[in-house]
Amino acid sequence: MSTTTAPLGAAAPAAPKVETPFRRFVSEFASSRLALFGLVVITLIALVAIFAPWIAPQNPYDLAQLDIMDGRMEPGTVGGAGFTYWLGTDDQGRDMLSGIMYGLRISLSVGAGSAIIACLVGASLGMIAAYAGGRTDSLIMRLVDLQLSFPAILAALMILAFLGKGILNVVIALVIVEWAYYARTVRGSALVERRREYIEAAQCLALPTRRIIFRHLLPNCLPPLIVVATMQVARAIALEATLSFLGLGVPITEPSLGLLIANGYEYMLSGKYWISFYPGIALLITIVSINLVGDQLRDVLNPRLKK
Amino acid sequence: MAVGAPVTSLDPHYHQLSPNNAVADMIFDKLVNTDAQARLIPGLATEWRAVEPGLWEFKLRPGVRFHNGSEFTAEDVAFTFQRVPNVPNSPSSFAIYTRPIRGVEIVDSHTIRLRTDGPYPLMPMGLSNVRILDRETHQNATTEDFNSGKAAIGTGPWRVVSHRNGDRIEFERNDTYWGERPAFQRVDYRMITNDAARTAALLAGDVEFIDQVPTSDLAKLRRDQRVALSETTGLRIIYIGLDHLRTDASPFITDNDGKPIPRNPLKDLRVRRALSLAIDRQAIVSRVMEGAATPAGQFLPEGIYSHVPSLPAPRPDPEAAKKLLAEAGFPNGFRIQLNSPNDRYINDARIAQAVGQMWTRIGVRTAVEAQPWTTFVGRAGKQEFSAFLIGWGSNPEGSHPLRNLVATYDREKGWGASNRGRYSNPELDRMIEAALKEMDDAKREKLLQDAQRLAMEDVAIIPLHIQTNIWAMRRGLTHTPRADELTRAQDIRPAPAR
Repeated sequence: MSTTTAPLGAAAPAAPKVETPFRRFVSEFASSRLALFGLVVITLIALVAIFAPWIAPQNPYDLAQLDIMDGRMEPGTVGGAGFTYWLGTDDQGRDMLSGIMYGLRISLSVGAGSAIIACLVGASLGMIAAYAGGRTDSLIMRLVDLQLSFPAILAALMILAFLGKGILNVVIALVIVEWAYYARTVRGSALVERRREYIEAAQCLALPTRRIIFRHLLPNCLPPLIVVATMQVARAIALEATLSFLGLGVPITEPSLGLLIANGYEYMLSGKYWISFYPGIALLITIVSINLVGDQLRDVLNPRLKK
Repeated sequence: MAVGAPVTSLDPHYHQLSPNNAVADMIFDKLVNTDAQARLIPGLATEWRAVEPGLWEFKLRPGVRFHNGSEFTAEDVAFTFQRVPNVPNSPSSFAIYTRPIRGVEIVDSHTIRLRTDGPYPLMPMGLSNVRILDRETHQNATTEDFNSGKAAIGTGPWRVVSHRNGDRIEFERNDTYWGERPAFQRVDYRMITNDAARTAALLAGDVEFIDQVPTSDLAKLRRDQRVALSETTGLRIIYIGLDHLRTDASPFITDNDGKPIPRNPLKDLRVRRALSLAIDRQAIVSRVMEGAATPAGQFLPEGIYSHVPSLPAPRPDPEAAKKLLAEAGFPNGFRIQLNSPNDRYINDARIAQAVGQMWTRIGVRTAVEAQPWTTFVGRAGKQEFSAFLIGWGSNPEGSHPLRNLVATYDREKGWGASNRGRYSNPELDRMIEAALKEMDDAKREKLLQDAQRLAMEDVAIIPLHIQTNIWAMRRGLTHTPRADELTRAQDIRPAPAR
């Protein structure tokens, strides 16, 4: 296998390259143009989301900046405020471009936030289950089975019906829905690692259990966890959009992508496609590029798929 | 033809619901009918008068027969009034219209007298809601007998051929009808509750006529050459209710830093007027409602009894609104939450957001919270809100909205039943009281107009607009649109050839 084709390393000085695991990982990841493209796109989207308040032409969440008289304008129209609505406006006169930028903020932060929390919770529980075994293991894994037997959207709907609306509650619902995936993945790989000699060695040294779990076991279970996490971010974003579309997520004056789509879909028959269309495209691109990155990560990190 | 709301029963005394009333109007008749503008016109009674305060006399139409040949007489009217309060399991009874009747006197076979406690000018209006049954036919008829079609026998322009609950009713013309005969031999009355499916059925030619045209489809249908629309201003007003109950802090009002304001700004008339002046009603009507509404400055639309002349919808004036706020001690405004249902009225949550924009622009920073109707109406009824968007379908008579929406809440009198902001003005109460005792229609109209003017000048509520009722039909048909929303087959005729 060639080790010098990594484009990222090309700028490095001429010193002979040492093949570290990280370098190998980078070069293998970069071998797929598509995944690289996905990574670039998702980085751009993240930048747009982070800097939305500075680059968006309008603050779509400030009612004073919206004008109902600019409602449902076609893409490219110049509105009353003097700037052009490149992607049109929705029924309240909200600039779709600004709406999408701010919507991406919500989608990405909810998606990433819930994935990280779910990952922490799920991974810890999975690790405990694998290491402790016996009753603890059965208890946790039966909980996981119970969780997985519910359709995610149904469970999320029930949790939100109980907790009420609001962005924080959406994150909580997503965490509850998703932790099980992480727990199962981590337990699977931890069970394999647990029987390895280095764990036995650590146990013989009478290291504290906590140290064994988090310093020895966990790092070796990371690769599959990273893959699952990437995929789950995309899933969380889609779920948040679904919940908002159904009117259970964000407040109506602070729409995320799902709510923007919901606002526009009644107008589809009347030919005002842009209200739903562009947020839909933004959502699609985000999810597809995350999945492209995730797929490649899985290929690179899964030893069984290695040629 | 297809209607949007399902008919729940063919028993005309079972459930007060527009779709049921529409179908009952096709099968049965009332003593007093209402025309398309909701004015009273003779029905089974040819004339009526108050013989003395507390005694009404109705002259009945001679020679009218029920679908089964039985003759219509004063006995049938007396029987009907007896049956109305005794329909088992009625979800919303018609007894409210017959309760004021203390005694029934049959003078001769076609004259009947009704006695009430004291003067009761609303008797003919009330009886325009009560469909007349036949004593011989309906003596032991149950609601189920009506639904099966067995007892669905009236004096109206249509006979029932078959009925499938919640799906369709088939009618055939009553060729011996006393009034103007319908234009069509048979009518298939279908219920298609999904808006998009109903519009699609019309465009595909499955049905010739639909009601409740969704506003988002209006632009498209107006352009379509195959379709004609018929519309009229309805009787349903959309308005904003305000918290009049509290003099101290109101739950959803804070100053600009989010701290509660110790006194309720909405108790100050200047603040209420400012909130009303901030709203551009024409913009809401044209942009949100797509023209399917009329800006309102009072409860009732023009052309309806006791509409107040020269009380137009306030013109938007943000500058004057800001000045009023400053005079009231809020030069920088305050924060408020506007609550709204999101599944009850046409475009309800969208209207609330538009109002939020307009209030925010005069410095009253508005958060809009939309929720399902069942949650919303419960909380509104417990005075949990500071400001809320809601609607009201009026009877065509000023005392109805006055008594229900702005009269001081009084459970025993049945006043202020829907006064969710708990507005209370003793002077207004006295004016309503006086109007309800006045038997002369012209004098009562004047009293009702004065009372409504007072309520509006005091900004008891902030009226936004009155909804327009819209029907759509294939070209070649014409329809007389009704202010009371009822969709009746006898109002449809072939269009005159051009």
